[in-house]
Amino acid sequence: MSIPSDTIVALGTPFGTSAIAVVRASGPLAAELVRKIFGGSSQPRTIRRADYRDARGLVVDDVLFTYFAAPNSFTGEAMLEISCHGNPFIAQKILEDLVGRGCRPAEAGEFSKRAFLNGRLDLSQAEAVMDLIHARSEQALAAANQQLRGALGRQMNILISQLVKVLSHIEAYIDFPDEDLPPEDRLVVVRELEGLQASTSRLLATSHYGELLRAGIKTVILGEPNAGKSSLLNRLVGRERALVSSEPGTTRDYLEEYVIFGPYFFRFVDTAGLNPAPGPLEKRSMEMTLEQADNADIYLWVIDSTCPLPSLPLALAPRMTPANTIAVFNKIDLPSAKRGPLPQAFPDVSISALNGAGLEALQATVTKLAESFQVKIGEEIIAINTRHAHSLEQARVCLASAKDNLEQNDFSELVASNLRAALDAYGQIAGKIDNEQVLDKLFASFCIGK
Amino acid sequence: MSCNPAIGGLAKGQMVREIDALGGEMAINTDVTGIQFRLLNKSKGPAVQSPRAQCDKKAYQFRLKHTLELQPNLQVFQATVTGMIYSHGRVVGCRTSLDVDFIGRTVVITTGTFLRGLMHVGQSKNEGGRLGDFSAKTLSASLLEAGIELKRLKTGTPPRILGRSINFAGLQEQKGDIEPTLFAFHDTRDPGDMFHVESTGERRLGWKPGSEQVSCWLTHTTPASERIVRENLHKSAMYSGEIAGVGPRYCPSIEDKFVRFADKARHLLFLEPEGRNTNEYYINGLSTSLPFDVQVDLVHTIPGLEAAVILRPAYAVEYDFAIPTQMYPSLESRKAENLFLAGQINGTSGYEEAAAQGLVAGVNAVLKVRGEPPLVIQRHEAYIGVLIDDLVTKGTTEPYRMFTSRAEHRLLFNHGSSELRLYDHAKKHKLLSDNRLERVAKKANRITHWEIYLETSKSVGGSWAESIRCDKSTAALPAEFSAEPKEVREEVLYRVTYRGYLEREQRQIEKMKDVEKIRIPASLDFLGIPGLRRESAQKLHQLRPQNLGQASRISGVNPTDISILMVLLAARRNAPAR
Ligand SMILES: Cc1cc2nc3c(=O)[nH]c(=O)nc-3n(C[C@H](O)[C@H](O)[C@H](O)COP(=O)(O)OP(=O)(O)OC[C@H]3O[C@@H](n4cnc5c(N)ncnc54)[C@H](O)[C@@H]3O)c2cc1C
Ligand SMILES: Nc1nc2c(ncn2[C@@H]2O[C@H](COP(=O)(O)OP(=O)(O)O)[C@@H](O)[C@H]2O)c(=O)[nH]1
Ligand SMILES: [Mg+2]
Repeated sequence: MSIPSDTIVALGTPFGTSAIAVVRASGPLAAELVRKIFGGSSQPRTIRRADYRDARGLVVDDVLFTYFAAPNSFTGEAMLEISCHGNPFIAQKILEDLVGRGCRPAEAGEFSKRAFLNGRLDLSQAEAVMDLIHARSEQALAAANQQLRGALGRQMNILISQLVKVLSHIEAYIDFPDEDLPPEDRLVVVRELEGLQASTSRLLATSHYGELLRAGIKTVILGEPNAGKSSLLNRLVGRERALVSSEPGTTRDYLEEYVIFGPYFFRFVDTAGLNPAPGPLEKRSMEMTLEQADNADIYLWVIDSTCPLPSLPLALAPRMTPANTIAVFNKIDLPSAKRGPLPQAFPDVSISALNGAGLEALQATVTKLAESFQVKIGEEIIAINTRHAHSLEQARVCLASAKDNLEQNDFSELVASNLRAALDAYGQIAGKIDNEQVLDKLFASFCIGK
Repeated sequence: MSCNPAIGGLAKGQMVREIDALGGEMAINTDVTGIQFRLLNKSKGPAVQSPRAQCDKKAYQFRLKHTLELQPNLQVFQATVTGMIYSHGRVVGCRTSLDVDFIGRTVVITTGTFLRGLMHVGQSKNEGGRLGDFSAKTLSASLLEAGIELKRLKTGTPPRILGRSINFAGLQEQKGDIEPTLFAFHDTRDPGDMFHVESTGERRLGWKPGSEQVSCWLTHTTPASERIVRENLHKSAMYSGEIAGVGPRYCPSIEDKFVRFADKARHLLFLEPEGRNTNEYYINGLSTSLPFDVQVDLVHTIPGLEAAVILRPAYAVEYDFAIPTQMYPSLESRKAENLFLAGQINGTSGYEEAAAQGLVAGVNAVLKVRGEPPLVIQRHEAYIGVLIDDLVTKGTTEPYRMFTSRAEHRLLFNHGSSELRLYDHAKKHKLLSDNRLERVAKKANRITHWEIYLETSKSVGGSWAESIRCDKSTAALPAEFSAEPKEVREEVLYRVTYRGYLEREQRQIEKMKDVEKIRIPASLDFLGIPGLRRESAQKLHQLRPQNLGQASRISGVNPTDISILMVLLAARRNAPAR
């Protein structure tokens, strides 16, 4: 039996928040991945600890990894197992990075299937493997169907029917040169492709690990020195991340941490205090704070409740609105000062970073704000998964090549070749698209036949 | 020929060259009897350029008949076949109307449109497969008896008119190419090989292929034509519900054209001569099932045909076809062993589609007698492979015609590469003479040599290949290359210029090959496989694919089902060893 020669990847642990997540890759690329991601070669079957560096060289997480040489692995192929922190978004980022390096998201039960085909499981397990493929695919199918019945399916159907239409036009001029067709207008096709590219990109942006969520929802913690910003970050993260000190101006730089509340992924940024009268050194820190704050999605304005209400720096005031800002009154374990009215109707929460009081309310308020950041397409909420994104990315590349073909006046059959590849990529999400559909569209739109 | 004596065109032209690469006669016959040759799609790339020829209808027919008569080991006999002779579920011969039975190990049926053929001209109906021909009635019953399921299809043909009565002044002339693209591979043949019928001395080659071409003429419908059609729609056999069979969408009747594309002011028509020794013209584009008197009025509304005389009216024909998914890829019936079906009886339409199947069915009928495995051409090898795979795995609901867009690997199917693509099959089954096989192999070697050379040796800036791909100019190539025959140069340049695209096709093929190789035993009970979705199991049970590749192309069968089958088949294969 010949075995597929590509390298597959999948999450080895159920998706969700658990202490650790295991990402597995199986196939010929495994050794190369070890070299490229962790540097150096790896001893098979030894657990090593290293930073996982993505394709751009940025550290994603501190992980444990094990390399298995073929045939001494679960699947019988070369394998790489990576244990990262249980944050599903870290696991997603790793998966995404592996796909970017040439791996393919595995199909349901594919690891077991490979194990079986490589003789790693014995015959009596064949049925178990088949059941597993069946069950996994049912789950996946149920999930996918739910999406396909919903907004994603509607979007895909629109994309597919547009692409089928474009392709059928191109095909008409290829297959029926002797017919009395209206003159071929490539500019119209270019415009339609641009539309498709834009829609594909928009859909791609809704990916769970797409732009917004890839980076997390950027939430900047700001406030006066000593208000308790670093203490709050440590509370949110659940461990000592930032240095806390009663000495104002301890945080000179900014710090970021990724945290999940419910379905959302946040990137919290702790900043240096906003000192109304900064010294020369603080001036630089303040500039950095403003820079960070400039493109934030959410602001947590930490206010020391034992002091009178400070004013907001002029540079930030116009950007902070009730839709993106939460006023966090800290240190409620201490007697509070008399509180004046807020400059705007920000939602407010009272907490103690010291003892954790009010933290749940804060989380709830932050989550509520995050909902408004979900990408919406035509009023429908769509979030696509890794496999979908992989296919959409392929489609996007092919559409771009087809457009290049047209602009460079290449032969129509080359345009068609790229468009078919794009259609296949869409088909990986919505189900196989038969040539027949293109012909149907062609005969419906042109009077063809002598 | 039932209809217009035109051979080739998009995808079909490639198919004729593929037939030539497998030793078929169609290409040579077209080259010798062609009266006009045109290469279509000259403004597009090599993959979708296709030769087309207008033939002399009678000359085509007579030369082919003569070829058959001269063929050693072939006995020709004429009679109407009335039924198959079955024994224990197998076909062992056939009966004829002359009460002469033929006994044989295998039988190939190619009855075209004759099975219960019914011709319509308006409300008038005549039994027959073609104007002036009979209708085969009892044969349908005999096939049903074996459990072969039949369905109805329909096709039509336009009126023929007298050339003398056409006013050509003011019509646009369409000439043949000055340098015709012929169908047969002349470069790998000896002249004796080429004109084998002529070289016996029994037949003279009256003219040089491609010379003295005749012209076709372009005209169109007018508002008056549309009015006549609309006013008489209720008399059309197709529109009055007389016809039950499904017609092809790519060959609509003039009624269909006016009704379905009402916004189109006029429809193009081609006047095509039927031969050198006849004054008969074919009005390509005007197929109809309107009554004869309406046809006369209709024809007279067309510029140039104001006084045209109709020699034969247009008509539609309805006929039985055998649902093609009841065959193996060898074209042997699953229902009756040793029975092979080819041509329009399998739901196709077109001379080339029929010829391709005839060739494959013929080869396989012989291989079956010899007890050897059949010739099965894969989808990635040739249009012939796409044709047969589509028929046996998907079936068809309208008369099936080949289009380039049906082939997923169209870019590999440039007509010039047919001989190279099919060489292994031709060699394995000795379909070409040793001499020709050797020449094809040599040609393939030259091509590979130059491909590598251009890819690896340096010219200014980079390799030759890079500069070809970059500025698409071939002006500065080595002199030795320019000295190669045109066929070699064209293929090399095609492969080099489109390397990126062709490699993508190859990668897809490699992916598919693995599953294509996994055979599904005939005994496998799809309905009893745990985990397989019910819908898929039923489809698989019904269509009985022979390998996993085929299974994966069946609509409704998804990758999970294929995974499950893969595991199951591996388990079964390993089972006896343990
Ligand atoms: C009206 C019409 C118009 C067409 N127009 C075109 C066109 O423009 N271009 C094109 O490419 N194709 C055209 N076609 C289709 C094309 O003619 C057929 O697809 C092709 O010829 C089929 O080839 P075949 O060998 O299967 O059958 P046919 O060419 O139909 O040959 C069948 C042969 O079998 C013989 N036969 C049938 N029954 C029996 C029997 N019981 N016993 C003995 N002999 C029998 C018949 O006499 C006939 O010679 C047209 C077909 C029709 C009917
Ligand atoms: N009592 C009390 N002290 C706090 C609370 N939050 C922070 N502090 C103290 O306030 C000081 C400044 O805290 P820090 O987090 O460094 O403030 P930052 O400058 O805003 O980052 C430290 O001494 C903290 O222990 C709180 O909720 N209650
Ligand atoms: Mg701080």
